[in-house]
Amino acid sequence: MSQSSVLSSLSKINEKYLMFRTVTSQTDAGDAKFLFSAKDNLTSKDMETCSGSRILEGYRPPFDATSIAKMREAGGLLIGKTNMDEFGFGTFSTNSAFGVPRNPYDLERSCGGSSGGAACAAAVMEGHVAIGVSTGGSICCPASFCGVYGIVPTYGRVSRYGLLDYGNSLDKIGIISSNASDLGKYVAIMAGADPKDPTSCVQPAIGSRRKLKSVAVPVDATEGVSEDVKKAFKDGLEGLKSMGVDVQKVEMSTLKYAIPAYYVIATSEASTNLARYCGMRYGHQDGDLSLKFDDYFTSFRSQYFGEEAKRRILLGTFTRMVGFRDRYYSKARNVRQSIIEEYRSVLSGCDAVLTPTMPFVSPKFSDISKMTPVESYKADILTGPPNIAGMPHASVPCGYDRDGMPIGMQFVANHWDEGVLFSAAEEWEKNFDAVRPEVSI
Amino acid sequence: MKIGLEVHVQLPTRSKLFCPCPTTDAPAPNTHVCPVCLGLPGARPMMNGKAIEYGILLAKMLGCTVRDTTWFARKIYFYPDNAKNFQITQYDRPLGEGGVYYLNGKKPIRITRIHIEEDPGKIKRVGDLSSLVDYNRSGIPLAEIVTEPDLSTPAEAREFLGQLIRDIRYTIDLPDDGERSIRCDCNLSVGTERCEVKNVTGLRNVERALTYEMVRQTKLLKAGGKVVRETRRFDEERGVTISVRKKEMEADYGYIDEPDLGIFNVKELADSLKIKESPHNMIIRLTKEYGIDDKTAKQFVSTSVDLAKLFEDLAAATDAETARTWTSGAVSAGWRAFEARGGTDASEVVNIVRKFVDGEITDTECGLRIKAFLAGTDIDSVSAGSADLDAMISQYLDENPSVIEDYRKNEKTANRVIGHVMKQTGGAHSSADIVDATKRLIGERL
Amino acid sequence: MDRETVEKVARSAHLKLTEEELERFSRDLGDILGYFTILDEAPDCEGFGIDPIGVADVLRDDEPRIELEPDAMLEGMDTYDNYVRGPRLL
Repeated sequence: MSQSSVLSSLSKINEKYLMFRTVTSQTDAGDAKFLFSAKDNLTSKDMETCSGSRILEGYRPPFDATSIAKMREAGGLLIGKTNMDEFGFGTFSTNSAFGVPRNPYDLERSCGGSSGGAACAAAVMEGHVAIGVSTGGSICCPASFCGVYGIVPTYGRVSRYGLLDYGNSLDKIGIISSNASDLGKYVAIMAGADPKDPTSCVQPAIGSRRKLKSVAVPVDATEGVSEDVKKAFKDGLEGLKSMGVDVQKVEMSTLKYAIPAYYVIATSEASTNLARYCGMRYGHQDGDLSLKFDDYFTSFRSQYFGEEAKRRILLGTFTRMVGFRDRYYSKARNVRQSIIEEYRSVLSGCDAVLTPTMPFVSPKFSDISKMTPVESYKADILTGPPNIAGMPHASVPCGYDRDGMPIGMQFVANHWDEGVLFSAAEEWEKNFDAVRPEVSI
Repeated sequence: MKIGLEVHVQLPTRSKLFCPCPTTDAPAPNTHVCPVCLGLPGARPMMNGKAIEYGILLAKMLGCTVRDTTWFARKIYFYPDNAKNFQITQYDRPLGEGGVYYLNGKKPIRITRIHIEEDPGKIKRVGDLSSLVDYNRSGIPLAEIVTEPDLSTPAEAREFLGQLIRDIRYTIDLPDDGERSIRCDCNLSVGTERCEVKNVTGLRNVERALTYEMVRQTKLLKAGGKVVRETRRFDEERGVTISVRKKEMEADYGYIDEPDLGIFNVKELADSLKIKESPHNMIIRLTKEYGIDDKTAKQFVSTSVDLAKLFEDLAAATDAETARTWTSGAVSAGWRAFEARGGTDASEVVNIVRKFVDGEITDTECGLRIKAFLAGTDIDSVSAGSADLDAMISQYLDENPSVIEDYRKNEKTANRVIGHVMKQTGGAHSSADIVDATKRLIGERL
Repeated sequence: MDRETVEKVARSAHLKLTEEELERFSRDLGDILGYFTILDEAPDCEGFGIDPIGVADVLRDDEPRIELEPDAMLEGMDTYDNYVRGPRLL
């Protein structure tokens, strides 16, 4: 699609897929070198920023997130803010306060989450590059469900200034696109030390691209995974072998602790990050000021936070409490270290660890509504490990199920080694026959 | 009775702890604010290196151990002045621990810990209407110093604070108040249970709050009651401590480490930083090393640390007694003039006194030369002036010989002479000169 | 998780739960914490990081600077006389 056709059909497209929360009113691309969208938890000066939550309805930030500013500086035109689970809490984008984005391959299925809108935009508008954010799997999950390429750089590679925090030691800003070459191109633009985010100030330069030569597959990578995903993953392995990549099996005993540890750390941090949303200073400020402050804050927060947000706040408040902090918060942090060490050890002997991205294809909305919280948390079983370890990782489409729903596989490289992921995705794309979704508006 | 204090002192950095907003002279409420200190979504803290330096200097001053690494934590509590509804402070790994501070050089007060944290904003009290918050103060760096309950009386606590603040002022060049203020949380137990009085501002209020609390607890116990362990606040106007609602005391702060800042390896910096000797320690050292009395040592150091150092140089060049005589006399008398003319190097005084000790010049000449040097003028104008002064004093003594006898019994008699001369000269001579000359001339006649 | 604990946690988090929410969250949190018990058997590791990549010694100079106009930030806020309005204290 040409830039101008994208701009002129934006609202129509959005009506059908609900992938945007806000779209630009610009109809002319002007001097723009490329068009991009940003997940709605990144601050944009000219567009409302809500992070999928009613509590921030109407909020106009006074500054651009560094990642958005850098894309703009490089000639990009921000065409809209993409729809997402409230504050990043979710795997299916069903927890958004502003409508749920629909999968372009099947409108009754989820786009994945929490960057569901971003992946949908990337799939529907070819050539469109979407900025996404991953905490426990929120880039690769939707990328896998929407049949596109997604990359999560190393934690600390892209400045988080302007990112509405979910988990400060877990959030990473990355790219989703239907073109594999966009991954390396745009991560390079957004990367770099930013004094406004100290965690971005210890990165070495992005390593030069190097050819993917070997991958290690954990022995239980396909345990509990659906038959269609198993088959597509097997095809993926065959594809890699024919590209000359060596495939090994490896034991990784710490990975099973990743999801519990991730949820403990993430909700602990999130419950503190969300404390500031209390009806003062930004977003809705329409509480009853005659209430005493405790009651004011409580009534306001209870009114505007969604269900999943409340659940995670409660969980994360509990894990920090006196008497429980050691068993949960401190222990989870300790477990994270052991996962990192295991990855490092495995990656000293190969270029990347490889698994399917998700344990199933995108579920139908009717099935999602029947899932218990634990069941939906377990959907992150494969994306969780690299996320908690801060390892750079990328999802590439590797097959489709019998209904034509996309399936992805996920490469995990060592800290700071994005170069091998960029080239792996680009090489893979050359040999993979992607099936694009039918887009009719 | 046991008293422990948690002292909060603002560090004199030019920018805030986590953002570059200025820390002084804000023209109006909410003018020295930015996304970071307002807690805007997406903003995050950036550590001010100078604050860490100041923190380390204070840790060393208090004799604390500085660990290899230190890091920060979030303390969660909801309040309108708390921009993020959590405060970034230190929890598991404070900057310094396990120090000891000597009150008056004798009584050891153990220092549990010292850490750095951010100040919240300020609330303008408006009765029972909505609160009005000024975030100019939000994010200003604080050092929190926690003592063990080693203090014994409210007066002692006040003395401790006074000495502590003087030493802090000197160690990190803290300006003499104005916008900086010191706040204390005071813990006091008469019996076995202790109560905490939070957020008391200034030394006088600390003593008042502790005194009231001491009396309250004592009365309660005498009447056969029990002291309930609780948090209280101090009402400055009424001079009483009041129990705060029990609910607020139960707050579980739910500490987690602050991931956005990372860790700080401070051992090397701590080893390389040298603290200036505090005035307090210098006074103690001077009395011990040179055998001068406490009052004289205090007088030297409080006039100027440079003057005290000059005393030491003189003592090294001659002897302690000579150094004391000249420092108490001509040097002290002329010191204000020296500072007024921006003098920095007073080593010439040592040369002058050496000449006197070697017998090259008389003591009168020595005094004149010191005075001339300090004032930055030549000897002639000084001696002319002082000759007038001497003449005037001598005349008075001739006319009032009883002064000498009275002086033998009571040194304060000299004030009569001084008062007379001051009236006569009407400010032509500095009071220091008059005092010095009077004592010298009376001394000659004894 | 028992009701009393959920209520205590909710109070601390400044959330007021309906009867229905209290029941639902008690169940959910109980399930989730049950899932978390696997952590108890995870082996201990040397040291623990605050972040995955070892961020250390990132400092800035003590230079005062105003980058954004304060008025731009106060614009979206409920203010009175340049003070930010908030709920009452007592």
